[in-house]
Amino acid sequence: MKSISESKARLDGEEKVTGRAVYTDDIRLPGMLHAKLLRSPYPHARLVGLNVSRAIRLPGVAAVLTRDDFAGLNPFYGFSVKDQPVVALDKVRYAGDVVAAVAAVDEDTAEEAASLIEVEYEQLPAVFTVKEALVEGAPLLHENIKQKHLPKYGRGCTGFFHEGTNICFHFRYERGDVEEAFESCDHVFEDIFTFPRAQHCSLEPHVSVAYFESGGLTVWTSTQSPFVVRQELSRIFQIRLNKVRVVVPCVGAGYGGKHSAKFEPLAAALSQKTGRPVKLSLSMEESFKTVTQHSATIKMKTGVKKDGTLVARQSEVLLNTGAYAEAGPLVIEKAGYRAHGPYRIPHVKSDAFAVYTNTVPAGPFRGFGGTQVAFAYESQMDMIAEKLGMDPLEIRLKNVLNKGEEFAPGDTPIDSDLKEALKLAAKEIGWHEKGRSPYRGKGISCALKDGGGINKPSNALVKITEDGSIVLSFGTVEVGQGINTAMAQIVANEMDMPFENILVAPLDTTSTPYDQGTLASAGIAVTGPAVQRAAQDVVRQILEIAGMVLGLDPATLRFGEGKVHYGENQSLPLRDVMIRHFGGTGGEIVGTGFFKVSRNNDAPLGYPCPFWEVGIGGADVVVDPETGEVKILKYISVTDAGKMIHPNHCRGQDEGAAMFGIGHTLFESMIFRDGQLMNPNLIEYRLPNFRDLPDHFESRILEGGSGPGPYGAKGLGEGGILPVASAVTNAVYNAVGVRIKEIPLYPERVLKSLSLKND
Amino acid sequence: MAETKRLRISFLLNGKETWLEIEPNLMLVDLLRESLFLTGTKKSCAMGICGACTVVVDGMAVSSCTFPAFNINGREVLTIEGLSSNGQLHPLQKAFIQKGGFQCGFCTPGMILMAKTLLDENPAPTEEEIRTYMDGNICRCTGYQMIVESILEASRSEAGEIN
Repeated sequence: MKSISESKARLDGEEKVTGRAVYTDDIRLPGMLHAKLLRSPYPHARLVGLNVSRAIRLPGVAAVLTRDDFAGLNPFYGFSVKDQPVVALDKVRYAGDVVAAVAAVDEDTAEEAASLIEVEYEQLPAVFTVKEALVEGAPLLHENIKQKHLPKYGRGCTGFFHEGTNICFHFRYERGDVEEAFESCDHVFEDIFTFPRAQHCSLEPHVSVAYFESGGLTVWTSTQSPFVVRQELSRIFQIRLNKVRVVVPCVGAGYGGKHSAKFEPLAAALSQKTGRPVKLSLSMEESFKTVTQHSATIKMKTGVKKDGTLVARQSEVLLNTGAYAEAGPLVIEKAGYRAHGPYRIPHVKSDAFAVYTNTVPAGPFRGFGGTQVAFAYESQMDMIAEKLGMDPLEIRLKNVLNKGEEFAPGDTPIDSDLKEALKLAAKEIGWHEKGRSPYRGKGISCALKDGGGINKPSNALVKITEDGSIVLSFGTVEVGQGINTAMAQIVANEMDMPFENILVAPLDTTSTPYDQGTLASAGIAVTGPAVQRAAQDVVRQILEIAGMVLGLDPATLRFGEGKVHYGENQSLPLRDVMIRHFGGTGGEIVGTGFFKVSRNNDAPLGYPCPFWEVGIGGADVVVDPETGEVKILKYISVTDAGKMIHPNHCRGQDEGAAMFGIGHTLFESMIFRDGQLMNPNLIEYRLPNFRDLPDHFESRILEGGSGPGPYGAKGLGEGGILPVASAVTNAVYNAVGVRIKEIPLYPERVLKSLSLKND
Repeated sequence: MAETKRLRISFLLNGKETWLEIEPNLMLVDLLRESLFLTGTKKSCAMGICGACTVVVDGMAVSSCTFPAFNINGREVLTIEGLSSNGQLHPLQKAFIQKGGFQCGFCTPGMILMAKTLLDENPAPTEEEIRTYMDGNICRCTGYQMIVESILEASRSEAGEIN
């Protein structure tokens, strides 16, 4: 009864196509209040005074929440650096920072009340770009952050906090001796690349419902990491973890934007104050002002031999992390670590800085720092090839890491055949075809990221009842990727039971076993083994029980098709085994599974990565010399799933990721002017539409079989975004001979480059 | 505060006659979600751009977030909840499941209803016609190609059912 490698009807399919699926905003509780926020209009200001008396007197208002409500509490949240208060305390740090919140009978009343709050601000000088923030004597966003800790790295990595500066976190990775190595190189290339700030734009904005009752707190929320949210709530409100119940209804996607706590603490505080359930449902504009991708400036210096052998690379990565740390310290660590790309480079040094500015906080985003550095290293790879007179494919094949080779000493060896993937992408876009039309060009790119997260424990639970129906429970959130369906397939396959027998339990932190979060493409690769082991544990217990019932050695028994097989062609149905064992009418057999990568001090980040997620892109573009418009005629995305559990969903993850890449390559960018976000909506912020689909858009998924997940599966969903920008800009160079080091490729930007070239 | 004058409207909602009194400034999406508890219609950009709130009024797809509710007086409204009949999924609903036409599902009700009006107007669209017609509906998850394939599949299966 093989249930994998098949595109089963997804478990949440029918509810999602009929509108019956319940998302957080669809929840209505008796007595529920609605919340609205008051946000700062200034990017940096001291909060001198707050007067809520007019707001609280508006009929229908139940509570106004300000800093006064947090006296004696520890209202800061964030990952390794806890610097973001639930509402502004002493000052506001970006235009959009939350100053107060109102709970009222309906949204209109709450909004009107918020507008009645009088705030006295004393404006402060502000910094908006990394450059401004790093100037000596620049105004500081945070003077004294009390809660922060340095990660415990392994070989070659160091982390720094630079007190008294706007550097949120500085990560360094070093091996060999770059300075000395550059001396021995025939050519040294130095370039600066600039990457925009994209917005996640989940169509479902952030939304939470919170209800404090009889000492416990229940939160229904659109999140990717319910257990992280639980931890933050427990700490802020000083209640035990088991009294914080985080329930995750359907999630209208995340892409990183719904990782960790967002407005759950605020909704909870309002519920605590009013004694009633409170819903806080953000608008799209508010989501834009909640969390973003990191914009980046990357200085890359690469030394090569004249035969194209890479020798040394020094990178300086600057990420604009906005007003609060969020996951910035983690993103910068990954950006720095990944900056040398999928190549064999003996001497490497990366200095990567997450820098505070008075703009919207930047946090996790599909690609997690890898996208920005991939744009730099894969653009520069083509520039090196050009200078040396080499074919861009050839120079990559010469330097790319072989399967089994180390990316960094101490880390997991490369587990995909990158050469095969590169050759496939090149073949699919007709790399070697002669006779190109004018203004038309082709580009390739090859990138990777360490996948599966760092020190990420995952548990799973499987239970079977006497009628053979199965409940599966794990903590990775179904954000659309199809994880529930794939996990059910794994259980069905392991237990040799029909896929239809399996129900995935709703995610509720009081009953679901722990998972750190839905991040780093870790679902199948890290939680997958926990689920597989839980299913195997159930089978082991069934055989043990059957052994007792039948008086036989369990080792001689086999479970399949819902029966225990023994002797010569004899079998006993599961129901009989269970009833005879438990007595009475039945019972349940409960199995558990756990997976975590062990610590290894030799691994640069302290833990070897569970797997390598790869993204190889091939683009065929045409550039309009009159308008500067770049049109992608063909885009091929190649990745390695290890093993596809659900082929359709694998394809969906990879194509979705590639389209994200097309967005920031061609037009997506959050524009700030004097700290004000100019395009916080879907009219002025341009997302890819149907008509942006390349004429030919295809994902080719390899099955290299070397992942840590069940049956050799690896993670997917982020690889596809990594190579897009460089594949396209390389194709633009190939088409019209201009090297564009700053994206998006706005037509005016391309046109300007063209005119500079022609001058 | 002066009381606004409420309007009395009647309309056909998913085939059922419905009478209501509403505020004149109410948008259709809020009427559906808040008064009628038809939460299948999703609210996202709230400015008529993304298509998540698409419903069908007298056979025409509209963005219910910018469509005044009083405008449905005397008209026929179809929401995602009314698309399947007698427990039978519409061919588009089946095709979206089969061909991976959605992931998170938030754009899906609007996407499917927009596709329905496309197939009503043009039962056998080309890939190019699908891309053009559907351009006003945003999906952030799929990258669109699998939605195009879902709609093609539905148009083929509908043709198959008629033949």
